[in-house]
Amino acid sequence: MNRKKQMGEILDYLKTEERFAQNIVHWRTIPSREAKSVPFPTELDARIREALERRGIPALYTHQETSFRHVMAGQSIVAVTPTASGKSMCYHLPVLQTLSEDTQARALYLFPTKALAQDQKSELHELINEMGLSIKSETYDGDTPAQIRQTVRKAGNIVITNPDMLHSAILPHHTKWVSFFEHLKYVVIDELHTYRGVFGSHVANVIRRLKRICAFYGSHPQFICTSATIANPRELAEQLTEEPVMLVDNNGAPAGTKHFLFYNPPVVNRQLNIRRSATLEARDITEQFLTNGIQTILFARSRVRVEILLTYLQELIKRKLGPKTIQGYRGGYLPSQRREIERGLRNGDIMGVVSTNALELGVDIGQLQVCVITGYPGSVASTWQQAGRAGRRQGESVVVMVGSSTPLDQYVISHPEYFFDRSPETARINPDNLIILVDHLKCAAYELPFKEGERFGRAEITEVLEFLTEEQVLHFSRGKWFWMNDSFPAHNISLRSASQENVVIIDISERGNERVIGEMDRFSSMTLLHDEAIYLHQGIQFQVEKLDYEEKKAYVREVQVDYYTDANLAVQLKVLEEDQSRRHAESAFAYGEVSVHAMATIFKKIKFETHENIGSGPIHLPEEELHTNAAWISFSNTLLETIGKEDVERGLVGLAHVLQHVAPLFVMCDPMDLHVIPQRKAVHSQQPTIFLYDRYPGGIGLSEQVYKEMETILTQAEQLITSCPCESGCPSCVGATDDGSKGLAMTLLRVAQGGSTYVS
Amino acid sequence: MSLKAKLQRMKGHLVKEGDQQKTDTRQEQVPDSSLLVEADIPFSDRWKELQAKPYVWEGEHVMIREVRYPVAHQHGAYSFAELHDAIAAWEASGRQHPLSASGRKAEDLLFFDTETTGLSGGAGNTVFLLGYSRVEGDEVVMRQHFLPAPHAEVTLYHSFLEQAKKSSHLVTFNGKSFDWPQVKTRHTLIRDQVSALPVFGHLDLLHGARRLWKDELESCRLSLIEQVKLQVTREDDLPGFLAPIRYFDFLHSQDPSVIEGVLRHNELDVLSLITLYTHISRLILQHEHEDVSCEECFAIARWYDALGDQEAAIQAYAFVADSEHPWNVRAKLALGQLYKKQKDWRRALHIWESCMQGTRFVPEEIYIEAAKLCEHQFKDWEKALSYTRKAYEQWKQRSSLLRQKNRAEAQAYEKRITRLEQKLSGAVEEVDGMGSLFF
Repeated sequence: MNRKKQMGEILDYLKTEERFAQNIVHWRTIPSREAKSVPFPTELDARIREALERRGIPALYTHQETSFRHVMAGQSIVAVTPTASGKSMCYHLPVLQTLSEDTQARALYLFPTKALAQDQKSELHELINEMGLSIKSETYDGDTPAQIRQTVRKAGNIVITNPDMLHSAILPHHTKWVSFFEHLKYVVIDELHTYRGVFGSHVANVIRRLKRICAFYGSHPQFICTSATIANPRELAEQLTEEPVMLVDNNGAPAGTKHFLFYNPPVVNRQLNIRRSATLEARDITEQFLTNGIQTILFARSRVRVEILLTYLQELIKRKLGPKTIQGYRGGYLPSQRREIERGLRNGDIMGVVSTNALELGVDIGQLQVCVITGYPGSVASTWQQAGRAGRRQGESVVVMVGSSTPLDQYVISHPEYFFDRSPETARINPDNLIILVDHLKCAAYELPFKEGERFGRAEITEVLEFLTEEQVLHFSRGKWFWMNDSFPAHNISLRSASQENVVIIDISERGNERVIGEMDRFSSMTLLHDEAIYLHQGIQFQVEKLDYEEKKAYVREVQVDYYTDANLAVQLKVLEEDQSRRHAESAFAYGEVSVHAMATIFKKIKFETHENIGSGPIHLPEEELHTNAAWISFSNTLLETIGKEDVERGLVGLAHVLQHVAPLFVMCDPMDLHVIPQRKAVHSQQPTIFLYDRYPGGIGLSEQVYKEMETILTQAEQLITSCPCESGCPSCVGATDDGSKGLAMTLLRVAQGGSTYVS
Repeated sequence: MSLKAKLQRMKGHLVKEGDQQKTDTRQEQVPDSSLLVEADIPFSDRWKELQAKPYVWEGEHVMIREVRYPVAHQHGAYSFAELHDAIAAWEASGRQHPLSASGRKAEDLLFFDTETTGLSGGAGNTVFLLGYSRVEGDEVVMRQHFLPAPHAEVTLYHSFLEQAKKSSHLVTFNGKSFDWPQVKTRHTLIRDQVSALPVFGHLDLLHGARRLWKDELESCRLSLIEQVKLQVTREDDLPGFLAPIRYFDFLHSQDPSVIEGVLRHNELDVLSLITLYTHISRLILQHEHEDVSCEECFAIARWYDALGDQEAAIQAYAFVADSEHPWNVRAKLALGQLYKKQKDWRRALHIWESCMQGTRFVPEEIYIEAAKLCEHQFKDWEKALSYTRKAYEQWKQRSSLLRQKNRAEAQAYEKRITRLEQKLSGAVEEVDGMGSLFF
C-alpha cells in the first residue's frame, strides 16, 4: 500500500501526469487576501466587545463595521460577502446591541432552510451566553415542541425560522404573537440570493403580508439582508422588502490560496467532436483526492447524476475506506438523513459527499479541501457558491470544474476569461405574478380584512379582490373585503414547488415494511417516476412498479440493473396573446402569453459506463397543461422556399439547442426553469418559430427578460457556434451531428439578427 | 388584456377554496347606519318569528335571539332547576375539583358555545354566533348574538361582553381549546374598539366526558352523549359541519331561514350543557347512587386519585371493590396502593389478600405488592416468598402463552426470590426498600 499523498503532491501529479495534465485547459491560482479590519465602534456594548475579545477577535472586518453603523442609524441594508467571511456578524451585532439596550425588542431571523436555522441557533446561543446577556432566542419551526412554542411567541427576543413557517404558521396566527409584532425591530434575511424565481416571488409576498401585520400592530421593522455575490443584491433586496436598502460590499475578510482548474475531458471521436463523459472524468479526479484521505465534495447537475456518481464512487472506494464514508446529498432525501450527513461531514466520519446544488447554501459542513464540479452549474454565482465549499475557512484549496459536452459547458471551458471577468448574474423575482399574487392575497385577507383603496405592497389589487369575491372566497361588506371561506388558505399554498402537489415515493421492497423514502414535484415525476423508471436513492436502484398519478404516489421496489432510464417529453405550445413585438427584415421577436401542453412519451434504458441505448418503452401519463409567458423568434415563410422545409426544421432544432443553453445564462435561472422549443409551423402564425417559455404558471419574468435581451443572447449564441471546433455540428453546439446543421443554424441566426439568408 | 380575463384564464392553476355551490349574489342592502330602525333590516318579519331583535351600537347592528324557559323546564334527564342542586352538592362536598361550582351562584355560570366559519384556529376564522344559556332568576335564558355582516364584529363583541360580564365562569364543551381561544383571536383584531375580555373561570366538560366515557362510547361527541347519557333527542338537527356553508349563503341572501337550522342547533347545544353539567356533577359527587355504573365510578375514583384527593378516591374505589363487577380487582389494587400511601399497611395487605381468596384472575402486580409489604413492613419473609413465587409462576405461564419473555423482568423476580430465601436462612441483613428498585 502506498503512503498517502499530500495536497501539494497531488497538485504536482495533476500538473505533470499526462492522463490529467493534457486536459487541464486553464489553471488559475487565486492569491490569498489580507484581512481589512477596523476597531470596535465605541457605542458597542462592553459585554459584546469583551466576549468577542475573549474569542480572540480584536477588531471588526470592514463590512461588519459598516453594516453595524448603517443599521444603528436606522437603515435597511444588504451585505454582500463570500462564504466564511463572518457575515452573520453583520446582523448579530446590531441586533444584540439593540437588545442589550431594550429588553422588549424583538427580531425575526429568516433562513431559507431549517438546517441553516438550527446552525445559527447554536451559534447565537453560544454568543449570547458568552456575552452574559439575558436574551431569549429560539427556533420556531415544525420541530419546535408544543410546550416551548407559547414561550417563544410570548417572550422570544429573537425568533429564528424560515419563510414557509412564517407563511403557514406565524402570520395566519398573528393574534397569538401580539407583543412580538408590536415590538418587532429587525427582520434578518440571510442567503438573500436564494430568494429568486418562483420561490423569491412567493417570499416577496410573504414579506408584504408580514409588513401588513406589523403595520396593524404599529411596528415598522428594518431589514438586514446578507447575500452571496450576485449582480443586483440591492435591487433584489429592494424588490423583496419594498424598502430603500443600503448596499454593504466592502468585504474585509481574509482568504486562503485557491487553485481553480478548468478541465475538459479528452476528445474520443475527433470528427464528431465527442468527448469522454464528464461524469467518468469527475469520478477519476475525485478518486485521486479521496484515496489520499482528503475530504472532497463532488457536485453534479441532477439528482440522477448524483446517484450515478455515488454508485461509482462507493464501488471504487469500498475497498479502501469502507462503505459509509461516501454519501449522497440532494433534495428528496428526508431531513433526518440530511442532518446525519451534515454531522458526518463536520466530524470527518464522511470523507466525501456527492451533492446537487442543495449544498450550495450555507449549511455548515465544516472545511472541505477540494471541490469537484461536474459540468458548469449554469451560472457564475452558483459556480462561486459551489467553489466556496472548498477552503471556506482559509488554507490552500482546489476547485476542479469538469466540462460536459453541452454547448454552454464547452463555451465556458474554452473561455475562462468569460467566467473570471464576468459579473455574476442578476437575480429576478416577479412578486406580481398573478398566480402567486392571488395565492397571497387570499392568505393576507385571511389574516386581516382589506380596506377599499388599500394596496398590497406596490401591487394594485382591487380587481383581484373583486375576482375573489365573485369566486365566493371573500365577502365585501361596508368598504372592506373579509375572508369568508371555511378553508385555511396557507395550507394549500407551498412556497417551494411550481406544481403544488408532490408525488410521494414509497418503497415496497419489503412486505409489511413499506416506507416513504422521498418526494418529488409532479412535473418532474412525469419523466423520473413513470412506470418502469429506474429511480436512484442513496445509490440504491429502485424500479417504479406503479406511478399512481391521481393519488400522487409512486411505488418502487429495489432492483439491481446495469442501466438507468431517460424519458422524452413532448411539448405543444399555443400563443394566447401577443403583448409586445419588434420586427426585422425576415424575422420578428415577440413576447406574450402562451399555453403549453406537455406529455411524457417514451423512455430509454441507458447502460452505465458505455452509455449506450439498450431498450425503450412507452409512458402512459395524462397531459399536463401550463399557462405561462414566452418570448419567441419567428421567421418569414419565404425561408421555407429559399432553404427548404426540412433544412429550416434542422436549423431551428440546432438553434433551439444552442439557445436552451445560452439564454439561462442571461436571466440567471436553472435551465430547467426556462424551456426552448422550435416549431416549423407555429399554430398562431403558421411561421417557423422558436419559443422560450417560463416553466411556471403565469411566468416569473424570465421570458420577459429574454425578450428584452434577445440581441445579446443571439450574439452570444453566434459566438458559441463559431468558436466550436467541430466541422458541421456536434453535441457541444447545435446538438445534431448530421451534415450541415451548424451552417443552417448559423443562417437562421443571421436572419434572426436582421440579416438575410444569403451566406456571404 | 384585462386582469379579470387573465384571472379567468389562469383559473385552472389557482388553488380552489372548497367547492361551494353558487348562489345568486344580491346587492347588499345595508341601511344608512344613523337611521337604522327595525323595519330597515332585511326579512325583519322572519327574524321576529325567530324571536330575534336587532341590537344597535355605533351605527351597526347585530341580531340577538333570546328564548326564555322556566327553570322547571325538563331538558332531557334533568330539569334546569336541578342545576341548583348540583351547585349545592359541590358546596356541601367541600371537594377541590376542576368542575366544582362551589361558592358560585347559578347565574355565575355561562353555558357557552360558538359557531364559526371554519375549524382552523387562525385569524381568518370568524366567530359568527356567540350562544349561551344562563339561569336568570326563575328562568333560563338562552341568548344568541348573531353577526349579520362581517363588518359588525365590534357591535357583536360589545353586545356580548355587556351580557357576559355578569357571569364569572364559562361552562363549555371543548371551549377551552377551541371556542374561547377563537373568541380571543377575533377580539384581538378589534381590541382597540371594544373593552377587554373578562378573565373567566372555565369549566370544560369535554375533559370530564372523556374521563368518564372514553372507553364506553365510540366518540365523545356531545350529540352522542346527549343520546346515550342525557336522554336528549334531536329532531332534524343540522350537522355542525354545515354551519359555515349556511352562513356564507346567509351573507348573500340575508334570509334568516337559511341560518335557522344553525341557530336551533346551537340552542340545543347550550341547553344540553346545563343538563350535562348537572349530570356529571351528580356522578362525581353522588357516585354511590345506584344508577352510576361501576365503569363510571372507577373513572371518577381515578380522577380524584389523579387530583390527589385520596379520601374521595378511596370512597369511589371502595364502591367498585365491593361490587361484583369484573373491575373490582383493579379497584382493590388501586385501593391498596392508596392505603399504602397513607401508611395503612394492614388495610392494604388485607384488601390485596382478599383478592387472592376470590375466584377471579389476580394480576401478578397484586402478589408483588403484597410481597413487598410482607417483606419490608411485616418482616414476614415466608409469606413474601410464597407470594413472589406465585407471581413468578403466573408470569412465566403468561409469558410463554404470549411467547414473549422479558429478561429484565425475569431477573427481577429471581433476584427477589434469592434475596428472600437468603433472608429466610438468616444470611442477609435486610436492606430497606430495595425491592422498589425493581418493580
